[in-house]
Amino acid sequence: MNNTDVVMVRDLRKSYGGRTVVDGLDLDVHAGEIVGLIGANGAGKTTTVECIQGLRRPDSGTLRVFGLDPATQADELRPMIGSQLQDSSLPDRLRVSEAVHLFGSGARGDGDHLLEEFGLAALRRSAFASLSGGERQRLFLVLALLNRPRLVVLDELTQGLDPSARRGVWSAVDRLRHDGVSVLLVTHELDEAEALCDRVVAMRAGRVLDSGTPADLVDRHARNAIVRFTLSESRRESLHLTDLRGVHEVLTDGDRVTIRGDRTSIAYVGEALVRSGSIPVDLAVDVPDLEDALLELLDRSSYEVTHLSN
Amino acid sequence: MNTTVARLVRSELTLMKRDPLTLTFVFAFPVITMLIIGGSFGTKPDIAFQGANPSHWYVASYLTVVIGAMGFIMLPVHLASYRERGVLRRFALAGFPRWSFPLSQLVIGFVAVMSAAAILLAVAAPVYGVPAPHEWARLIAALVLGSLAFTAIGVLLGTVLPSARAAQAVGLVLFFPSFLLGAGGPPPHVMGSALRSFAGYLPLTWLTDAVRVPWLGLGNATGSLALVAVTAVVATAFALRRSTL
Repeated sequence: MNNTDVVMVRDLRKSYGGRTVVDGLDLDVHAGEIVGLIGANGAGKTTTVECIQGLRRPDSGTLRVFGLDPATQADELRPMIGSQLQDSSLPDRLRVSEAVHLFGSGARGDGDHLLEEFGLAALRRSAFASLSGGERQRLFLVLALLNRPRLVVLDELTQGLDPSARRGVWSAVDRLRHDGVSVLLVTHELDEAEALCDRVVAMRAGRVLDSGTPADLVDRHARNAIVRFTLSESRRESLHLTDLRGVHEVLTDGDRVTIRGDRTSIAYVGEALVRSGSIPVDLAVDVPDLEDALLELLDRSSYEVTHLSN
Repeated sequence: MNTTVARLVRSELTLMKRDPLTLTFVFAFPVITMLIIGGSFGTKPDIAFQGANPSHWYVASYLTVVIGAMGFIMLPVHLASYRERGVLRRFALAGFPRWSFPLSQLVIGFVAVMSAAAILLAVAAPVYGVPAPHEWARLIAALVLGSLAFTAIGVLLGTVLPSARAAQAVGLVLFFPSFLLGAGGPPPHVMGSALRSFAGYLPLTWLTDAVRVPWLGLGNATGSLALVAVTAVVATAFALRRSTL
């Protein structure tokens, strides 16, 4: 573990009642990095972060956070970690300012400043029960950031929020990057991971399938793009679509055309359309994203598991 | 003072003041039942009450009903509901020492008992009169140790039971037999031998005996006081061990 490592996990294993939830997981989070744990439900993401937070004791493996063992040194570690938990709450009648005072051991100004920054200053006297979903999540973020943690763990940060509230929370997380705080983000919202994370770790059945920047994962596992448009058969014959570079497949249904190819094919199809003077008004392009990459990864790993076991 | 326990106590007291109806059982039930039962047997000293004034017997007994209601129902439901909603996990992850929440509940338990006892005595005074304690030291020792014991039992139940609804159901099942046989029901001398023998195993019986006997000058109840002290030590040890937040 070097001095830029905030989290170092090696060969982490955890089972509940004979069911393996985390199975030999390796994970690193470096200083100032936003790392996303992605994967389907039951991939072991939450159990992994619970071990990192010292809420669960691993069955085996090595786990260090700031060089400390969360299983035995949780009391020393917790003041350095800010946590926003999945499925947790506050007493209904606790007011926003009271929650900040209860959880903040530092100067009162820190809490006030965070409430201003997260747009909650006007709600200081509001009871927790009266807050909207977005306001609650922003309050949990404020509580996670009190006491100036060096690592923030965010579990399903924007679950159930409307698009506008999600954007607000995302920009708040993005600001942490500029403050040099490391963030471990657990999510199955892949647009969230793509928007926020420097690096993502894709998990399935307690194992790491792949990791890298969101762009790396898309490039490795979801290279295909899809171009769709409507063009009469007579006009598209002259385009020789199947011969264009990067095109893998051309499907037609009457005048409807669907072209699958790698991402460079978008440029060549566009060029051919412009050159022919037949630019369809309904031209549409699907560029692969992290969701496509994860789905491909999950499909492939499930295929490999099936065939290896046979 | 800005320690974790102080902040927790301040927050819990604020919430308690803000939502007083949650304390109805601890505050109102002992007063109402004391008024009904305390007036049912008159005020003439009676052999069934070891020669004491029956009304005074019940005024002295119902102080422990407050403690039992707090330990069997109020605290377990409160803790189980906090655990169910993830509030305790949030406390743990915020770096609160694991003993801080049970300790804050101990303070809250004492405050609730003292407030409810004050109301009970204030209501009893003009109706039945409050007997002057014969042995203050033993009475206070019993009340302090009993509050500690039942707070610890409450914390223990709250950490063991899976939900607030379960805590309420189990709490009522534990409370009412203890209440009827050990504190606010018929005096032991009119019970059958089986019931009296069963009542002798209930912690609320020990506490009521340790409070009532020195208060009314019926003896010293050293054995009961010792049992309450042992219960306090054992339950506190288990409660702190279980309170992993």
